Amino acid sequence: MSQTLFLGLDGATFHLLDDLICDRPGQGIVMPFLKRFMERGFRAPLRSTPHPLTPPAWTTLVTGRNPGEHGIYDFMRVDDRQDQVFFTLYDFRDIRCETIWSIAGRQNRRVSALNFPIMAPPPNINGSLIPGFTPWRHLRRNMTPASLYERLTAIPGFHPKELAWDFERENEVGNDMEEEYLADWVRYHLPREKLWFEVARKLLAEDRPELLAVLFDGVDKIQHQAWYYLDPELQPADPSPLHRQLRELCLSYFRNLDGYLEQLVALARPDARVFMASDHGFRDSATIVRINRYLADLGHLVYQELDGTAAAQRREASPFAYLNWHKTVAYCPTPSSNGIIIRVAQSPGQPGIAPCDYLGFRERLIGQLYRLIDPATGQPAIRDILIREEAFPGQASASAPDLTLVLADHGFVSIRNVAPPVGQRPRPVGTHHPDGVFMAAGPGIRAGARGEVFPIADVAATLLHSLELPIPGDLDGRVARACFRDDWLGDHPIRRGPATLPVNRDRPTTEAMPESEKQKILDQLAMLGYLEE
Amino acid sequence: MSIERPLILDKVIQVLETMTQDWDMDYAGTINEDVKLVEDLTFASIDIIQLVVALEEAFQRRDLPVDKLLLKDGRYVDEIKVSSIVDFLKAHL
Repeated sequence: MSQTLFLGLDGATFHLLDDLICDRPGQGIVMPFLKRFMERGFRAPLRSTPHPLTPPAWTTLVTGRNPGEHGIYDFMRVDDRQDQVFFTLYDFRDIRCETIWSIAGRQNRRVSALNFPIMAPPPNINGSLIPGFTPWRHLRRNMTPASLYERLTAIPGFHPKELAWDFERENEVGNDMEEEYLADWVRYHLPREKLWFEVARKLLAEDRPELLAVLFDGVDKIQHQAWYYLDPELQPADPSPLHRQLRELCLSYFRNLDGYLEQLVALARPDARVFMASDHGFRDSATIVRINRYLADLGHLVYQELDGTAAAQRREASPFAYLNWHKTVAYCPTPSSNGIIIRVAQSPGQPGIAPCDYLGFRERLIGQLYRLIDPATGQPAIRDILIREEAFPGQASASAPDLTLVLADHGFVSIRNVAPPVGQRPRPVGTHHPDGVFMAAGPGIRAGARGEVFPIADVAATLLHSLELPIPGDLDGRVARACFRDDWLGDHPIRRGPATLPVNRDRPTTEAMPESEKQKILDQLAMLGYLEE
Repeated sequence: MSIERPLILDKVIQVLETMTQDWDMDYAGTINEDVKLVEDLTFASIDIIQLVVALEEAFQRRDLPVDKLLLKDGRYVDEIKVSSIVDFLKAHL
């Protein structure tokens, strides 16, 4: 059986990578291995999920199913209990489709899957799995098999603190950072990424899995905060010494990453096919759209009144909506969601609009949202509004936001109670763009070729075909034929196989909770979040 | 289904021992009913979320009304004893 490597680059974009493979004066070629990889392989833009966000996009990549089927839309899951709204984290039990780890594993392919989100609590697979986005204190018992942690301690300098997420630090990803702190932010990711490389190298060398997949997520984290120092189009003609220093620090991350990629590919079997992809691309964002403030101005939303306590202030500053749930009919739950939930009353007297008014209300709301103007440009602040049943068809459609907003600059919304509804950031930050990257090289891969954009759901089918496995008939994605040579496809025809195995995990149920008590649980979740202004 | 309290206690202790084995904390005793999550085991907010998931997995239930464990008289409890977790599970499993 042949071997397949999948190297995930969270948030990678050709806009930046193409600059890093060029020989720039005073900079040189930052990623020489990637340059050679592209020259001897195939590359194409990869279109992310309708809302290009880490949890839904990576889940689509590893299931081959769109969010409407797999059911992951955000970091936080919203549970509307009418008189209160409860927020909790999505986890693996919420994914409603089989993953490629399972599909490959049950067909006798050994798998090592490292650092992918929404993978805890971990499923049993034929191989090894270490979930991403997991606090270090909980990493050991969320690995599979259980003996894996002890094996990793043999890595010199291994400590789960460096491998896992530091939630306090990662919560800073969306804040406007001071330049002095930005250097610490970038340095924090250097040893962390090195340790993921060491883990991948160890498992690749010792286990020789047919599929090794590892996600390097520092790309996304650094680009969010340091885009201003990385984007070739934003570089000042005469940068300050601090600007030069920060840019060089960021470039050192990419130099290191290039070395990790090169060593992993060198360690793979000679017949291995290597694939690289990102969950979304990146670009700059300078506009702040305070969507809940706008909904409040329209009369659809009422913020919770603060009682002056420290607990209330912490809750108000948290990255999920703090609202008067008796008076709110439409709201954005989290800044990472870019979603709007329309509340429908489950019975007369309950908060929300009457069920018979839903379509009319939604239509009016869409019109109001399109009329939100960015005063800096005079243009609409929202370029597109995705409707749930159109953007997210499938078994999990009902869990999607009623509306998903695509902002004019692809930025994330703010849910803060700050006026005016549209403003400007002091300097551009990085935000997600729908088009990420796909690259491949190895036996059967077209050399030096470029392809047209294709959907992220196709990656799962492409990896399964590389593993010489049939493609389950119910995948949303297809094999990316363009990346393979015609003669190789002739010798290795795409086989259609039976559907994926059903996932029958218990769905969470709810029990009535006294209103006075719920706020305290929300306080507990306040440290978890993503982007804010 | 009703599970005897000693069996629940054993399972909760097992979950907590597994969870805390790598943690930097001064507490060196064994985990028993009187152990306090925050004071003794240095639990933080995210650890409580992880504990809820671990208990749901250990007892194969995702519908536990955890608010009844984490809140009392409308206020978030500053401390949770192991015995409180066991009492909660005994009442709701």
